[in-house]
Amino acid sequence: MTLVDFPAIAFAAVSCWVAGSLLQIPARSNKALGTLSWVFMIAGTGVLTWFLTSYWIALERPPLRTLGETRLWYATLIPVVGFIVEYRYKIVWLKYYCMGLAAMFLGINYMHPDVFEKALMPALQSPWFVPHVVVYLVAYVMLAASCVAGWHNVILGFRNKRSSKSESMSHYLALLGFVLLTFGLIFGALWAKEAWGHYWTWDPKETWAFISWLAYLGYLHLVARKTDSRKLQWYLGLSFFVLLVCWFGVNYLPSAQNSVHTYSG
Amino acid sequence: MAGSNKTVKTGAAPAGFREAALFTLVTILFGCGIEILTSGGGIDVPGWPFNLIFLLLFGGSIVAVALLFRERPMVSWLGGIPLGLSLIIGIALLSLVGGVLPQEEYPAGSIMTVLRLNGMFSSWPFALVTLIFLINLGLSLVWKTIPFRAANLQFMLFHGGFWLALSCGLLGNSQLERLVVPIYEGKASNVAYDNKTEKVIHLPFAIFLKDFQIDEYVAQFALYDPQHDVVIEPKSKLMPELHKGVKAEWEGIGSVTVLDYLPDALPDAKGMPVPVGDKKGVRFAKVRIDENGKISETWISSGSEALQIKPLFVPMGGYYIVMADGPPKAFRSNVMLIGDGGERKVARLEVNKPVDMQGWMLYQMGYDEKAGRYSTMSLVEAVRDPWLPAVYLGFFMIMAGNVLYFWKGVKKMEEA
Ligand code: HEM
Repeated sequence: MTLVDFPAIAFAAVSCWVAGSLLQIPARSNKALGTLSWVFMIAGTGVLTWFLTSYWIALERPPLRTLGETRLWYATLIPVVGFIVEYRYKIVWLKYYCMGLAAMFLGINYMHPDVFEKALMPALQSPWFVPHVVVYLVAYVMLAASCVAGWHNVILGFRNKRSSKSESMSHYLALLGFVLLTFGLIFGALWAKEAWGHYWTWDPKETWAFISWLAYLGYLHLVARKTDSRKLQWYLGLSFFVLLVCWFGVNYLPSAQNSVHTYSG
Repeated sequence: MAGSNKTVKTGAAPAGFREAALFTLVTILFGCGIEILTSGGGIDVPGWPFNLIFLLLFGGSIVAVALLFRERPMVSWLGGIPLGLSLIIGIALLSLVGGVLPQEEYPAGSIMTVLRLNGMFSSWPFALVTLIFLINLGLSLVWKTIPFRAANLQFMLFHGGFWLALSCGLLGNSQLERLVVPIYEGKASNVAYDNKTEKVIHLPFAIFLKDFQIDEYVAQFALYDPQHDVVIEPKSKLMPELHKGVKAEWEGIGSVTVLDYLPDALPDAKGMPVPVGDKKGVRFAKVRIDENGKISETWISSGSEALQIKPLFVPMGGYYIVMADGPPKAFRSNVMLIGDGGERKVARLEVNKPVDMQGWMLYQMGYDEKAGRYSTMSLVEAVRDPWLPAVYLGFFMIMAGNVLYFWKGVKKMEEA
């Protein structure tokens, strides 16, 4: 399957999520409808997984090279975090934000269609490519979810309805995200050594990855200091914007003109 | 720091932060002052063996201070989280400046060079903040390590690994050598160039280039709109690949079918392509153009600047059918490494697959890009980094700590 089919796929996935979410309303009093709702929501992700797989085959390389391709992965994986959190911890609201975020990513891809390009430059042809990108991807997914949870908690705080369960959820998502971010950073350094001769060159992309890592490092030390959890929710909600700069803002910064990593645009 | 003494003792959270933030700010300003006085000279990391001596003295004093003066409030503040946090923010802000402003040459005397904003990561403010960062991290590390408790293992691995990677990475930088060695097919060379110092260096071995090869992705053809300087997407949205029998359609404009494809050919006197040996010619394709019923057949070609052969393209509607060589898929140098002592080693240098020779890592770096796949020149990068093992040990400690942290995190999450 190729990008020609993308609009139809995106439409199908979003429709599934919308239908599933709407069905949650009558599902409160009807168990069968509840099951149906889940079938729809998971089908949305299933459709995207299927598309990713066949796109991978058509490209003859992992679809992890362009920003558009990584957005496809986010759209596929972020709702999964929401589903798992509900299944495991009975927190129901996260999945709606996650599906919303995923729909937004599909929307961006629809507005800015990618070019179908099989070529993978030699530096990217490495056993490190998949682990490095996937670890980062999952880290971003976790931190996106923790950002969403952070804002949700901020709003709950305003309405005097704070929930310690949902505050610890945003914390653990951030913690796992940070751990993966650290792996991503180090894998990146080890790979850079193989591909470019040195593990760290303060390339803009590397610098921003370092800054985002520091942002979450700061968070963990604030936690170690027993900072008021209400303030931490703001922190989590805002740190994700640093990650966003790292992720696609970098290409637009003046410093990026001579980055070796601009292929990702 | 009289104020900080009291706050640490009482343990009131926000207070220790104020002194820490102020201290970080003063450090940064002090660094800026040095830059202004030296007109942006930056810091020169001491070379061998002074970098090692510095590391040992620095590390040793941290351990000594940590053990001898642990009870002093000032020392406990120096190794505490409030200062650590301020320094993390300080480094993040300095990195932010270095990550936004281009790190390249600027005219001398401009504000960028005087404050060394264009060389942030070798500037005094950055170096000083990092130094205090290492002191802070080092002190807390000693306290968590002595007396030893297994529960602190994850902390030791994380913070110790970071300390090691950061200190050895920065101090080892003065001994890092990255040299470029241009080599030509059929010739051997041991002449290397240092791009930074513009010095010529003779390696203890020569590199003989037997053969340089480039694999390219399949050539493609496209419909080019000269008015808007864009490529028109075909109906399938794929750039059509050049194979015999491929057909591409552009809605409302027409279609193109590839009747024949010659990957290596040269034009004869009449301009007709004649197949030649590998890498001696350019790519030709015979195409049938169907312009809404109007049919024609002709040759198109990618041409080559290196061989001075003009590309052939044909009009279709108000557009042109053009052909493009595929981007490079892989390039490699088949070489013989000849040591000064006479030892020989056959090797293949390829991107992502460096080869070790007498402590030097050899990387396939580039080639004559103007000549493209006809290049007979290869650029090899020779890298020596004696401190690498220490940095890598740090990396692996961080990763080991990371695994423990992840495991603990998941377990606590289950409980929550
Ligand atoms: C590599 C990633 C890092 C992680 C995961 C991490 C994690 C932690 C954690 C969980 C604590 C609390 C320990 C406890 O109270 O039992 C802590 C304390 C601390 N961290 Fe980090 N940290 C990291 C890097 C750093 C860095 C780069 C600095 C440098 C400024 C630093 C400085 C400190 C200090 C000074 C403490 C207080 C130690 C104490 O209370 O004795 N950490 N860190």
